Amino acid sequence: MMLDYAYWITQVLLALGALGAVYRVYKGPSVLDRVISVDVILIIVGSIMLADMAYGRHQDYILFVVVTAVIGFLGAVAIARYVAVRTPDSEDTVRQAEAQARAITGESAPEEPEAPTATSSPGAADESTSWFAALARSGFVPKRNKDDDENPTGEDNPAPGTSSNPGGGEQK
Amino acid sequence: MSELTLDTVLDGIAAVFLVVGGLMSLAAGLGLVRFPDLHSRMHAATKPQVLGLLMLVLAASIMWRSWAWVAIALLAWGLMILTAPVSAHVVGRAGYRTKHMRTDLLTHDELASTVDRLSRQRGVRREVTDD
Repeated sequence: MMLDYAYWITQVLLALGALGAVYRVYKGPSVLDRVISVDVILIIVGSIMLADMAYGRHQDYILFVVVTAVIGFLGAVAIARYVAVRTPDSEDTVRQAEAQARAITGESAPEEPEAPTATSSPGAADESTSWFAALARSGFVPKRNKDDDENPTGEDNPAPGTSSNPGGGEQK
Repeated sequence: MSELTLDTVLDGIAAVFLVVGGLMSLAAGLGLVRFPDLHSRMHAATKPQVLGLLMLVLAASIMWRSWAWVAIALLAWGLMILTAPVSAHVVGRAGYRTKHMRTDLLTHDELASTVDRLSRQRGVRREVTDD
């Protein structure tokens, strides 16, 4: 019969698709690849059940398909939320959080966060950057702009900022 | 098989739908194996979620020949349509923010230009540098 051939061809195709998804789960470089591959495996299992229901003319597995459609996305959403926290510059955020915690408790920073800002400003006696050195020595930890994480020219910003800020402030 | 009754026609249509649904799953598997980065793999992974499931649901509905089960099967497909964009959105957003994408394969990154424009106005972090 034609339907027998169609059923077995469909099952073979579904099995090949599941094998590709399993390969990506094994090989996937990131956890997000594995998450979407596991989702595909779940859908393929539901598809296998649907094909079996269509071939055998029964409705035994329809509840699995409906429940999979309702709650199948929750695992991907949960794992993706945890991945979004683990950014590549997480060390910067950890250091920032530690600095804020020290600022709150009034504890003196041990060695790292102040030393680079105090020594890396070459013209500490210069008029245009002396306010920055004084600010760095005062132990004040400002809220960092999020631009500073990935901007390599972040040290250049205070110099043009001082030329315009004390004079007129903001131009608005 | 000599005479063409309604049952044989419906069985043939269901058989075609079954094979097309299986081909969607095969396309998803091949895309997951061969595509280079996360977002193109997501593009391949949505094939059996939407089209393949629709084909198999229609095949099952045709084989059952019952309007009540057609409603339930289409309910399952409609719920999948409603929930598939949620996971796709969250996974794609997390993949973009954590740089799980190959920017050298992109011809134009409109999200990066938008984030860049917003970061000049306010303090929005530029997430992908394409230098």
